[in-house]
Amino acid sequence: MLKSIGKRVLQTLVVLFCVSLLIFILLRIIPGDAITTMMGEHANAETIERLTKEMNLDKPFYVQFASYLRDICTGNFGSSYTLNKPVTELISAAFPNTVMLAVFAALIAWVIGMVCGIIAAVRKDGILDRLFMGFSLLGVSIPVFMVAMLLQYLVGYRLHWVDISGVKNWTGFILPAIALGWNSAGSIARLTRSTLVEVLQEDYIDTAKAKGLGQGAVLLLHALRNAMLPVITMMALQISSLLSGAVITETIFSINGVGRLAVDAITSRDIPLLQGTVLFTTVIVIVGNLIADCLYTVLDPRIRKGA
Amino acid sequence: MTKRMRTANLLLACALTVGTLGVGMSAAAEEGSDKVLDFAMNDDLSTMDVMNTTADYMVPMNVFDRLFEIKVLEDGSTEIVNSLCTDYTVSEDGLTYTFTLREGVTFSNGEAFTAEDVEYTFMHLLSPESINADIALRVAGAEAYMAGEADTVSGITVDGDSQITITLTAPHAGFIAELTAPAMSIIDKTTVEAAENFGIDLEETVGTGPYVVTEWVNNDHVTLTRNENYWGELPSVETAIMHIIPDASTQNLMFQNGELDILDLDYQDASIVASTYQTQYAEQLVSRSRLALTYMSMNANDEFMSDPVVRQAIQMSIDRQAILDSVFNGNGHLENGIIPAGVIGHNDNGTEITYDPEAAKQLLADAGYKDGDITFELAMDSSSSSNTQMVYQIVQQQLAAVGITAEIKTYDQSSWLDTRKSGEMDSFIGTWTMDYNDPANIMDTFFGSVENTVLRSDNYKDTEIIERVAAASAIVDDEERYAEYQALEEKIIHEDFSWVPLYALNHFYAISEDVESYSPHWAGYSDFYIKDVVMK
Repeated sequence: MLKSIGKRVLQTLVVLFCVSLLIFILLRIIPGDAITTMMGEHANAETIERLTKEMNLDKPFYVQFASYLRDICTGNFGSSYTLNKPVTELISAAFPNTVMLAVFAALIAWVIGMVCGIIAAVRKDGILDRLFMGFSLLGVSIPVFMVAMLLQYLVGYRLHWVDISGVKNWTGFILPAIALGWNSAGSIARLTRSTLVEVLQEDYIDTAKAKGLGQGAVLLLHALRNAMLPVITMMALQISSLLSGAVITETIFSINGVGRLAVDAITSRDIPLLQGTVLFTTVIVIVGNLIADCLYTVLDPRIRKGA
Repeated sequence: MTKRMRTANLLLACALTVGTLGVGMSAAAEEGSDKVLDFAMNDDLSTMDVMNTTADYMVPMNVFDRLFEIKVLEDGSTEIVNSLCTDYTVSEDGLTYTFTLREGVTFSNGEAFTAEDVEYTFMHLLSPESINADIALRVAGAEAYMAGEADTVSGITVDGDSQITITLTAPHAGFIAELTAPAMSIIDKTTVEAAENFGIDLEETVGTGPYVVTEWVNNDHVTLTRNENYWGELPSVETAIMHIIPDASTQNLMFQNGELDILDLDYQDASIVASTYQTQYAEQLVSRSRLALTYMSMNANDEFMSDPVVRQAIQMSIDRQAILDSVFNGNGHLENGIIPAGVIGHNDNGTEITYDPEAAKQLLADAGYKDGDITFELAMDSSSSSNTQMVYQIVQQQLAAVGITAEIKTYDQSSWLDTRKSGEMDSFIGTWTMDYNDPANIMDTFFGSVENTVLRSDNYKDTEIIERVAAASAIVDDEERYAEYQALEEKIIHEDFSWVPLYALNHFYAISEDVESYSPHWAGYSDFYIKDVVMK
């Protein structure tokens, strides 16, 4: 297992290198540059030329890339052109918000999604099944921004239960997390239900029941454990969608998160900030997948034994 | 098991409900504090140092003072009033200005304000790192200082603590007006020289103005607190919180929910303004006619638009009143020249552009163009508001009606600006809001040099006219200067058809019931002076 984790870490480094190279190339082939955007309406050729030199943007591509790699190896991600602060400082200020949002959203998505999926499977074709599957269908179908705006209107504006936007304390994450998590909850609920329904029809479930185990024990010890494998894969995949969905949620709810930083960096061609946020998000997604792989190994003995 | 599941679900629902109820109460408790002004901005600041920004003026306008300010009179006209300068004289040749400065003024950190600070402000603005230097380039020795050929700006002489003399390279009648621009915010020499991160670090960013920045949380909010040692009359607002809310509909809901005291309706869809704010909130609306001009640019290097006949036909094909009425509910007025109404020197009796699509068709037919011959790109910035996007579509349809194909191409903001500045953008619809109240601001920016006409993707060809525009700002006699500008406007717009002047809009703001009065910025900026807000 340690060997396989070591291998994954090495793969991660290669992925990170490729991602940084790709983003580096993309940022330099698309039209528009940080200096003209930064200067807005008051532009003159001399200043543009001087700033280009200062930011090393006049150097050949490989020189810029090598110097960038050298810098990030020493933990220096540079300073944002537009926000005039070190990228690490900006990301570390925004990261806790993104993490809180993603954790809240994942809790909603995974806990509620799984609970609903399990109930729906156990009560197959019953009222609860139809109700939960209806809700999950809505969650999968309605776009995040729509849910966000509806929640703002109903819960924030009509009921006055929470602030419409901003994060003064943890409660500020409730609406954004529901908006962000509902979609994932829908997918998890539907997947949990379908795999569980399938597993519950297996022979070994009948065997377990015949051994005299109660319904709860059969469900928890035998059915759920087997049904969880595809669900965990989906959860790992959802980490990236929760992070990318956070871009929209953070904007609508005015949360200073990494996603919003990345969007601002793209529109203003803020190269250091964009590189920092993309690399950072890549690491999170890779780590999420790594954890899922490890969990998989724990849950499925066949993988553990290399079968 | 099922029962347990049901219980768990119920508990979770209860926890969420209690949690949300708890927040409701805490949110309600935080409100109601008087003299606190909450307002929203779309984007966070990049810096509070005007040397490094041409857009983030909200904080500099309130934290720093200028030598002069612009005051809006009751009839809506403006006048320049003294601020950190109490008196000035101009030499007969119009080149040398001697300023007497206000005494006893201190920066918010206790440092005294002196003439050296004014000199240093010019030097800071003209330093090689500056991106806002163009506003101070008329001072003698400015270019040598910028190029690093001199240690000081030769045209500036400090005489004691309260007198400073500034010499220009050529007479410039709009010089005093220029000194009211946010870029001319006076900074503290002692603090800035010692500062490591001026404009970012709150303790280093000190001014003589009515407010001090006490908190700045990136992408969240900026808090400005009243400077209790302010030399002028203390403003009504004690604390102003600028919330960074990128989404317009969130701003809309926040205002209606009582979370904002001023809502800039520029960010809102015109239909929401008409259906909600001009009806339900009619009593709480404040407006200012923008000292701004929305225009359609036509690139003289384009295959078709290089022909004045095509440019004239385009001018006649656009029903500007229909655009104003349908998109903006008539909230604005048509413009026919370059200098917008409200700016000194505006021509009330200039030639009007008439909407006449039939005549436009005839013009094109006489010049040998057939339907569909003329095609060009109408470039749009993707960050444009929904209203602006609608204007593009209407213009496209109106041009199609006379047989001209304008293909709308959307660029992201950065690419749009880059292409426009390269001089290669066929056509676009843009707006210029005045930096200071003098025709030189808009005339020079667009037609004052060949380089400027390229930067605007206009590529205006008549160099004689460009030279006259550049020379006009040196005419000391106001009437003579205005007459020259108006003659130039006639030539550029009505003889050369270089532009399609469209309209100037009214800028609406909604104010909450906690606000007694609010006077928007004189030019209708989204940025405003907090001292112009009076709380109940």
